[in-house]
Amino acid sequence: MIYGIRRVLKYALGRDIAGRTLAVRPDDTFIVSYPRSGNTWTRFLVANLLFPGEPVSFANIERLIPDAEAQSSRYMKRLPGPRLIKSHQYFDHRYPKVLYIVRDPRDVAASYYNFSRKYRHIEDNCPLERYIGDFVHGRLSSAPWGTWAENVGTWMAARNGRPTFLLVRYEDLIADTAAELEKVARFFGVDASPGRLRQAVENSSADQLRELEKKEGGEWVTTKNKRSDIPFIGSAVAGKWKSVLPEAAVLEIESAWGHIMAQLGYQLVTRTPESVETQLADSAVIGKQGK
Amino acid sequence: MMQRLIRGMQRALGLHHPGRNLEVWPDDVFILSFPKSGNTWTRFLIANLVYPETPADFSNINRLTPDPEALSKREMAKMPRPRIIKSHQYFDPRYKRVIYVVRDPRDVALSQFHFHRKRGLIEDGYPPEKFVARFVAGETSPYGSWGENVASWLATRENRPGLLLLRYEDMLEDAARELKKVASFLEIPPDAERIANAVRRSSADEMRTLEKSQAHLWSSTKSTRQDVPFVRSAQAGGWRTGLPEGAVAQLEAAWGHLMIHLGYELLFPARAVAVTKTTNFDSGFAETMLNGPSR
Repeated sequence: MIYGIRRVLKYALGRDIAGRTLAVRPDDTFIVSYPRSGNTWTRFLVANLLFPGEPVSFANIERLIPDAEAQSSRYMKRLPGPRLIKSHQYFDHRYPKVLYIVRDPRDVAASYYNFSRKYRHIEDNCPLERYIGDFVHGRLSSAPWGTWAENVGTWMAARNGRPTFLLVRYEDLIADTAAELEKVARFFGVDASPGRLRQAVENSSADQLRELEKKEGGEWVTTKNKRSDIPFIGSAVAGKWKSVLPEAAVLEIESAWGHIMAQLGYQLVTRTPESVETQLADSAVIGKQGK
Repeated sequence: MMQRLIRGMQRALGLHHPGRNLEVWPDDVFILSFPKSGNTWTRFLIANLVYPETPADFSNINRLTPDPEALSKREMAKMPRPRIIKSHQYFDPRYKRVIYVVRDPRDVALSQFHFHRKRGLIEDGYPPEKFVARFVAGETSPYGSWGENVASWLATRENRPGLLLLRYEDMLEDAARELKKVASFLEIPPDAERIANAVRRSSADEMRTLEKSQAHLWSSTKSTRQDVPFVRSAQAGGWRTGLPEGAVAQLEAAWGHLMIHLGYELLFPARAVAVTKTTNFDSGFAETMLNGPSR
């Protein structure tokens, strides 16, 4: 009952976390990704690009590009428009304009493992195979955002190809940050000079972010009161899974999501995309209806 | 603030309609579709199949197959389990057992056009092209556009054991055959007589008769125009005479790839293919739904 009253008051005062109940406005733009897919880096890149006069750090990122998963309804409501908002939500039809960052799920899983330890969501010695099983079947703290494939799949299926949706691969962002950021700039309607792009890339480098995390990690809403011996800013490379994930874990991810991974250009190593399709087709509903 | 306090109290007491914020249980089954795709008919069919001792009508359908947009959170929580829940939501990861009914979007648009007249949302002379433009943009319902709704479910669950996909058109062609699939999905013995009874009790004529006497009792029809029926033509292909060509072209340009995937023949295939090219969509589901970034 006390808990109920506290919840009512929290809601009445607008101090509940916005999350999926965020009141969306028609002039909002969202930076969306599954967790551990380069969202924070993208926020820094975009903020440094759009607000070159202000050095972006963990101290002001929540004002420049607030996190709807961490801020309250009231905080979000008080921000003037047009807002740029960070989100991890799977498809939400109300989001008018979306920059979506996608990352190889094998790297996402490896990165998430460290993050879960940082957040004390799992035991330090939790076996990686078991963790990957939970990751694939949506049994982790990320479950409210769907599985990786549900998150990516719903956005792509609903919006890919529309002018209000831009899909960027984390791997492409790593390979040529300035070129990808230029696409992002065009999507935001910003005419960015090569110098301005370069500056934004430099100010958002992994080294720069690591420095800032050391200084400000204790205050930032996402890292406050979490283990500081495991960094939030991870390795910031593509393909780390090759040296980290056991083969059984790779097989589990590829068996579940191989068809989407192949579509995104993530090469499968344990099986062919066709074999994944065939496996799915065994239980096919469409095309095999009893006619 | 006062308003939020009242809303907050309502929430605490469970008097609000939970809608998308419904508390989901692992044994819940969902009857899901975009609006105007045969959801109500499917509810009747399934209710009559699962509860043969209680013939479904408009006064008890919200109890037999509860609707979280018509019942309160408290009522939803009290429902006997497993619940068979009616919903129009696009993808929600918590829904693990879903019977998804899909219907040709050209017929859906036409049906929603008439439904919006019934609800007084548009006047009688409203231009269908204008309505269809809003329909394509997803502005005529709070459940995403037709394409977003359908694609969000297919992309995540098609060919997976937790989803049974039914086409409204196949149900019209042979309701018993399709209901048999529902029975095995729900692990109910597919007894031919039980299925035949459920089909008979849920016929369009039966439902029209029930609507006449009970429309005022049901959340979806009370306080709407009584001269426009809720149970309408119950046919496939009404769009051929009911929609102007310009409206059909708009729908096919937006969702041609998805329609082909679902087996709905296009009136203007050449045009849809042209659109397909420009929007980077290709044939085949994987390509159409999940085509990689253009590089």
